Amino acid sequence: MANENLSVWTSIPFWRRSAAWVTGFASILLIWLTFDTLGQISMGTDEDLKAGTIKRVPAPTVINYNIDYQMSKKRGHEVPIIGAKEPFFGKEWSVEEAAELLHLGKLTSQSKNCMNCHTLLGNGAYFAPDLTKAWLDPMWSDKGPMMPMTGKSTREEAMAEFLINPSQYPTHARMMPNLGITADEAKGLVAFLKHMSSIDTNGFPRNFSKTAEQFKLGVSHAH
Amino acid sequence: MIDAFTDVVPSFFGMLNQGPMTLTIFLHTVIILPMFWIYKQEKAKLEGK
Repeated sequence: MANENLSVWTSIPFWRRSAAWVTGFASILLIWLTFDTLGQISMGTDEDLKAGTIKRVPAPTVINYNIDYQMSKKRGHEVPIIGAKEPFFGKEWSVEEAAELLHLGKLTSQSKNCMNCHTLLGNGAYFAPDLTKAWLDPMWSDKGPMMPMTGKSTREEAMAEFLINPSQYPTHARMMPNLGITADEAKGLVAFLKHMSSIDTNGFPRNFSKTAEQFKLGVSHAH
Repeated sequence: MIDAFTDVVPSFFGMLNQGPMTLTIFLHTVIILPMFWIYKQEKAKLEGK
């Protein structure tokens, strides 16, 4: 109490310097993080796919490959595994064709406002199922109900048929309305969904691949 | 505290984010520590007056 001026906490230069330090450091950090993120999310190339180089976001030609989703013990969550080549809508898509189809799908997803009900890569709503890994959903596999229901023999054709006539197929308690999606737009959307499922999202959304039986048993993939 | 790097794309921030060490804890530590130094400098200045 001898000299009240000695308190650093009431010293304006102390607070000014602290504020300058925190603001300056945070600004530099945010700029650095921006460039760090740009590197992480930049799309790979067709050559990366051919060489087996793993990229967080693979090239559009990933639609020519089988995509699996497997638990990685090392990373503690599931990761997309790009496997052998498989035809997509009965053919192999060139770099240009795949990019064009994916672009059409992206534009369609925006014009039909998928995010108004669905979630894509963490953006959107949870009124309807999360579409981030929708391509990998077992309901579209040959063991699931959607192929027989739509009368199609491949995953992509079943998804496209559903997207063209969503209100015809009972899938969810809240059924999807008919959005007037054309056959070409549906192909684009399926390509868009297949590509999205191949993106390494650090395991998001969590517990995606749990089956209904696993949910009932309370089984977790978290080890 | 430093585990084997498991992220897909090697990154400096990814390295700081391994095991129990989170990026939040690391960055807060880095930001707070120099403030002790600023505090001591200001205190010395006030006492020197």
